[in-house]
Amino acid sequence: MLQRLIDLLHAFRDLVVLGACIVVSVLLLAANDNPQVKRIRSVAAVLLGTVQEPFRSVTAYFDLRTQNDILRRINVELSDEATQLREARLENARLRRLLELPHRIPYRLIAAEVVGKSVNLQRNTLVLNIGRLDGVEPLMPVINDQGLVGVVTDVSDRYAVVNILLNTEFRATGKVQRTRVDGIVGWDGNVVTFRNVARTMDVQVGDVVLTSEYSNTFPPDIRIGVVSLVEERPGSLFKSVTLTPGVDFVRLEEVFVVDAQPAEERTGLERRGAR
Amino acid sequence: MTPHVRYAIIAFVLFLVQMTFVPLIPVAGFTPDLLILWLVAVGVRRGRLEATLGGFLIGLLHDLTATQFLGLAALAKSITGFVAGSFYNENTAEQTLGSYRSVLIALFLSVLHNFLYYAILFQGVERSVLLATLVSTLGTSLYTTVVAILPMFWFSRRFRTEWAR
Repeated sequence: MLQRLIDLLHAFRDLVVLGACIVVSVLLLAANDNPQVKRIRSVAAVLLGTVQEPFRSVTAYFDLRTQNDILRRINVELSDEATQLREARLENARLRRLLELPHRIPYRLIAAEVVGKSVNLQRNTLVLNIGRLDGVEPLMPVINDQGLVGVVTDVSDRYAVVNILLNTEFRATGKVQRTRVDGIVGWDGNVVTFRNVARTMDVQVGDVVLTSEYSNTFPPDIRIGVVSLVEERPGSLFKSVTLTPGVDFVRLEEVFVVDAQPAEERTGLERRGAR
Repeated sequence: MTPHVRYAIIAFVLFLVQMTFVPLIPVAGFTPDLLILWLVAVGVRRGRLEATLGGFLIGLLHDLTATQFLGLAALAKSITGFVAGSFYNENTAEQTLGSYRSVLIALFLSVLHNFLYYAILFQGVERSVLLATLVSTLGTSLYTTVVAILPMFWFSRRFRTEWAR
């Protein structure tokens, strides 16, 4: 009987071995959570890892280009984000300073962004992104937190052109804050001058110059600049005074248009008096 | 050196190559299974018994170092080895391995093995088990079949050299 069984198994040994392999495999599949099986697998994994280790550097080499591309893209994104954050921080600081202006100026202020600018010509101008539809009219003063910027000279529905302080056609009456000495502020194409100051008047380097009450265009007491040079020329009745503008025109981005137009009654009266 | 030891050494070398070098040459995410080619050679040359046992042992070794189910590769390779042994013919073994028939056998066995393997592996993981199984089976099998051309040329050359003697 036993011999017959052995003969039978021998005759079908292929199938018997296959069956045994399948049974063992299924048992192993069922024992996947067994701690001993896990222990054996972890040892095997460590051994294989030792063999695989030298090949990891090869894998890393093949991945270098991909990793490089990914890092470069991330770098661009982060740089862009950093630039935006820096820009936002600067804008925030500027706007905070500008927010203080309405409390100091007793006029309605119309906020504007500079969308065009020239600062290195004889007649420098700004273009603002507001116009007649926003209530802007010619001869309205333009200021920012640093002081006087210029005056509106031309207006369309949505844009306005401003003659800035650095324009040979620009004139404003000013006064020295410390001594109340009056003069005419202008641009000679090279520096900002404070003219018509008699030799006897007290003007010193460091004096602050403001807009004067004599102006029919600009509200008084708006900062124009600081005296940077005082010269007395032989044979001249006037001092030669040079100002450093308060406004940094190169970095100018936001301004306010002051809703203050010349009083027609005063202008007419002054014209008749001049005749 | 007995044939069994020689087969064991070749299997172990192929296993190491499979685990270290083969992952470096994926095509569309698929890699060839060199152990299937080993099973083809063992099955055609040695028959069902040895191919089944060889498949089981090499599968078990694979299972021990893989993160999948222990016993899955052993099961799939045991059955594949058994079927590989069906192509055994003592008189024509070298001719079979050196001809296009070995490539066709490799394709057939590879499809069988991968289908069994992935059909169980993807259970409960993939939403469409059948689709995932078919895609993985097709990709791995085709790549393995292409690689099977290399040993075919090697066996063909060896067979012609021995025949010329």
